[in-house]
Amino acid sequence: MERLRAAGPIVAFAILLVVAMCVLAIASASVSNVISRSFATEAQVRNARLLAEQALELQLDEETGIRGWAATGSTVFLQPYRAALPILPGTLDRLGAMLTEMNVGRVAALNDARDVNGQWLNLVATPVLGGPLGAKAIQRYGKELIDRYRLDIRSIEDGLTRVENRTDVTTRRAIEQNTLVTVGALIALAITGFIVGIVQTRSTQQISQREAEAVQLRAAYAAERRVSDALQEAFLQKPLPTLVGVAFSATYIPAREERKVGGDWYEGVELGENRVMFAIGDVAGHGLEAAVSMNRARQAIVSAALLHAEPAKMLARVNDELIAERGRMVTAVCGIADAGKFSFTYATAGHPPPILVEPGRPPRVLPMGGVPLGVLASREYRTHTIQTVPGATLVLYTDGAVEFARDPIEGEKMLLEAIRLAVENGNPEPASAIRDHIFGFREAEDDVAILTLAFVQPEEGAGNGPREAQIVASASRGGSATPGTSSSVIAGVSAA
Amino acid sequence: MSSDSSVAVIALSGELDVGRSDEVARALELPSGATPVLLDLSDVSYADSTVISALFGFSERAAAANARIAILIVKPQLVRLLEYAGLGEAFPVFRERSAALTYLLRNG
Repeated sequence: MERLRAAGPIVAFAILLVVAMCVLAIASASVSNVISRSFATEAQVRNARLLAEQALELQLDEETGIRGWAATGSTVFLQPYRAALPILPGTLDRLGAMLTEMNVGRVAALNDARDVNGQWLNLVATPVLGGPLGAKAIQRYGKELIDRYRLDIRSIEDGLTRVENRTDVTTRRAIEQNTLVTVGALIALAITGFIVGIVQTRSTQQISQREAEAVQLRAAYAAERRVSDALQEAFLQKPLPTLVGVAFSATYIPAREERKVGGDWYEGVELGENRVMFAIGDVAGHGLEAAVSMNRARQAIVSAALLHAEPAKMLARVNDELIAERGRMVTAVCGIADAGKFSFTYATAGHPPPILVEPGRPPRVLPMGGVPLGVLASREYRTHTIQTVPGATLVLYTDGAVEFARDPIEGEKMLLEAIRLAVENGNPEPASAIRDHIFGFREAEDDVAILTLAFVQPEEGAGNGPREAQIVASASRGGSATPGTSSSVIAGVSAA
Repeated sequence: MSSDSSVAVIALSGELDVGRSDEVARALELPSGATPVLLDLSDVSYADSTVISALFGFSERAAAANARIAILIVKPQLVRLLEYAGLGEAFPVFRERSAALTYLLRNG
């Protein structure tokens, strides 16, 4: 778009260039027309001038002949007279025709010259040729008539000069006008070119300014991402508790795209007496603000865990806090695991369900429920209590783990398969194994967090007496029921 | 938005994510008065957390305005996503249009 807009002045310039060239072509055509016409006129004038000179010379021949004859009586002198006599009228006629054709005027002068020549022939030449007495006629009329004749011819020549000048002026004016038009067109072109140049430069500057802004924006996003990454990493890398009876593993994949780094987190806090609080959550939205909201929600859950023993009450309290703060929507699972009893309680708030894998059984999806935190006031949540067995693994995750193809049904299938494989292979880091199975080398569209808790199989003779006894007792309790089934059913679901 | 004599219908379709949040926000406006609203998401297959948040906001505004709403969800993917979100616990969610309309037109 910008480039197109920048091309506008160039198109305008091109159009102007074509127009200017047309104007110049028309102007030079008209000038060459004027010049060729002036050449034609000049040639005519030149011819007319020759005729005028000829008329003058012929008259002179006639006069010289008559004078010579009068002075000497020799017929030799009459030769130029006789030669000129038949030519002169025709010469004057042709000259007259040209004067009319060229619109010179001076026809009166020509007619007068013709008259004078006639009078001279009558009053001078004829009497002189008639006898000795005629010589007086030369003195009497000769000079006057010849002078008049010469004046007439000079007047005609003046007229021709005027025509010549007029043509010159017309031509010069045409050339001047053409020069004016040319110079004007060139100046217009130069000015337009200059303006186009400025506009071009300015739009180029605007484009580069926009590019610079885009670079700044990218830098800002990158900076925001670095900050939210750093925040998130700082939170996530808080070491998970190491307990004798519960093994944690966790992984976090930031979103592929900048700005999409969201508010996923997980948490493990040791509460004492073999109990550990666990949580996973997701703040709606992405970026720095989501990371900050995430931290707030996370702190709220930890403090609630210190006040309430029941996960549902913990979530209700966090919901109240988020509603009061008008914070973002948060989905979460939180719970408390009892390593000694191989049991755990949990509650969910708008979050994908936990998955439990017990040895020798396929992974199963646990109950979920509850609206997300921070959207509706005064909500209550439900605590689920699960009695499980040694070697069982609880898997918590954020929606990025199942919604990567925007199909949670397929996503869950894939997750269940990934969990089965990871646990079956006895991977010491099940979270990473699950992640690798789902994503391989793909990058995640959204953030993904995975947290696993494994109830560790007690090793014979390991640990101190009472703890071991407790574990054994729990294990035996699980084993005493119908093997493989009753030990893993939901032992109790209580509404909080 | 279209409406017959007694029910306003807001229909959205496709995958609703943060890139369409403005469009979703514009669509999720309550009609004036207490006209029952059918939020028809039968052609929606995906909604991200920002859109789910907007759905909660819409439902709560409707409740505050005493406007009866019904949310119609048909595609199994969206059904699962809204099960995660627990939307059905707080608001009337239907998988069949007739049931949704019956609910909206019910007296009382």
